Amino acid sequence: MTSLSLELDLSLSINIQLSFEGVSFDKFNLNIKQDLSLQGITGIFGHSGSGKSTLLRAIAGLEKEIDGTIVLNDTSLIDNKKKCFIKAEHRNIGLVFQDSRLFPHLNVLDNLKFAAKRCKNRRLNFNEIIELTELGSLLHKHVNDLSGGQKQRVALARAILAEPELLLLDEPLSALDRQAKTSLLKLVLKIQNELQLPMLYVSHSLDELQQVCDKLLVLSQGKVIGYDGIHPMIHQLNHTQDNIAQTNDFIHQQTSLSLPIKTLDNGHGLATLTLSEHDEIYLPVLDENSTEKTLRCFILASDISISLTEPINSSIVNHLFAKISTISTMKNKVLITALCKKDDGEQEFFINISAFSQQKLALKINQGVYLQFKASAVRTYLY
Amino acid sequence: MINPDLLALLTTLKMAALTTIILLIIGTPLAWYLAKMRSRFKVIIEAIVALPLVLPPTVLGFYLLIAFSPQHLPGQLWQQATGQQLAFSFSAIVIGSVLYSMPFVVQPLQKAFEQLGEPLLEAGAMLGANAMDRFFNIVFPITKASFITAASLGFAHTVGEFGVILMIGGNIPGETRVLSIALFDHVEAFDYAKAHILAISLLAGSMVLLASIYLLNSPRKKAIKRIGK
Repeated sequence: MTSLSLELDLSLSINIQLSFEGVSFDKFNLNIKQDLSLQGITGIFGHSGSGKSTLLRAIAGLEKEIDGTIVLNDTSLIDNKKKCFIKAEHRNIGLVFQDSRLFPHLNVLDNLKFAAKRCKNRRLNFNEIIELTELGSLLHKHVNDLSGGQKQRVALARAILAEPELLLLDEPLSALDRQAKTSLLKLVLKIQNELQLPMLYVSHSLDELQQVCDKLLVLSQGKVIGYDGIHPMIHQLNHTQDNIAQTNDFIHQQTSLSLPIKTLDNGHGLATLTLSEHDEIYLPVLDENSTEKTLRCFILASDISISLTEPINSSIVNHLFAKISTISTMKNKVLITALCKKDDGEQEFFINISAFSQQKLALKINQGVYLQFKASAVRTYLY
Repeated sequence: MINPDLLALLTTLKMAALTTIILLIIGTPLAWYLAKMRSRFKVIIEAIVALPLVLPPTVLGFYLLIAFSPQHLPGQLWQQATGQQLAFSFSAIVIGSVLYSMPFVVQPLQKAFEQLGEPLLEAGAMLGANAMDRFFNIVFPITKASFITAASLGFAHTVGEFGVILMIGGNIPGETRVLSIALFDHVEAFDYAKAHILAISLLAGSMVLLASIYLLNSPRKKAIKRIGK
């Protein structure tokens, strides 16, 4: 299916301002100036009211009261000064909505045909997309008879069949249960791999984005607060305070990792990832049928503890030697970063301990310690 | 010579059919515009559309009669364009009916368009469908039942019209003498037997029409249709 490849290199340049006079809440301002290189999946993360969905709707062409410019691959989608506004239906951008929005008067097949009929390129093969999205058995079902996960699969297939240059996903999983989330995330990755279709993925769930995104754009109160590769961006957010609720952290502090899979099942209920020649990370068994070579996972800072001596007499299977690089105290909580040796450099880990523990252990920068965490603390969505 | 009551029936059906077609053509964009309108003038337009619901038909008929007369601009323009007088013509009762039955067509459509909202239209736009495409392939099939309701109510209400027609149409056989007027004539002439026939047919016809609308819109019928697929 490699012949199905769509556009490879895309760039999106955004410089927009938007003000809403909300009825029930204060004036909402969106003020974004950002260039994005659209390879793979770019996540847009923010809490509710951060403007992430509005940004997506602006790119889609569904938000009309906008000042500024949006340029996709040298084509102006919006340019106020030149009075240019390309309508949504002429932008060649796809959008998967949170609520599917399948046409209730059409069955699954006709919903898909609605998109294919209006597509100008016709480079994709209709049947191959049905196979890719595993919709073969649902084609003649009425859309109201589908489960939430099935609806989103149809919505995804329908969006792809319009052969957009860029696919936007607006909280596509938020109405689904865990199992449906996992299978749809896998499908999103599969589509990205096979079609090389650039995607912008909006979500308020960092767990979801961590699993599939290559890059992450973070918004807060209508402004960009960061844009970087997925792991470095999440690690930056560990140090970010929430401006709205001063006491809370912006995210659950965590270590975000992509590591090579060594074994899917070591025969004792655990899988292993390679951190370095000497160190492995244990986690619960992975799907035996997986062909993936690397695994995206994260470990919450609150799930890692610190020991001054190697905890060999413990049921906790993961213990790694690391050197403390920073210690920051915020109220009664201490955030420690520590570096572990990796074959190609160092891996940063984030650990939360209480001020009480810090007082007891008197940890210092550059001190060598053991990080310990259970196999079940290594979290991943895709298995 | 054709039976005068049969002629009245034909005139009525012709008037109601023509009125319904005209109302669907102008009422649909009006209902769409009202459903999407955010301006404060919306309530004023809505009130104007709804006026015939509360106004005595004779009030509307009286003003139309004045407007249609050759002494006033609309009547003059019509006479210049067609060479015929507008008042007391078939065209006059059609124009009167269009205004008088307007709310019965516009209101159900407006309600359906408001209920449909933007979500599916946005989904259509994101798949490359332009405004016309979205209307005919998304809006119309989904709100079809409301179109049928609107057309039936518009038709039925036009058939039952009396006051406006009496004011602007008079009682010209084959031109403006419709069933309700013919019925009135029979009663005036104490010909109750003929009056009964007309009254009972109007009653039955309206009953059948309304029952069919409700049957079409009932949830049970929809469920049966769903299972049938």
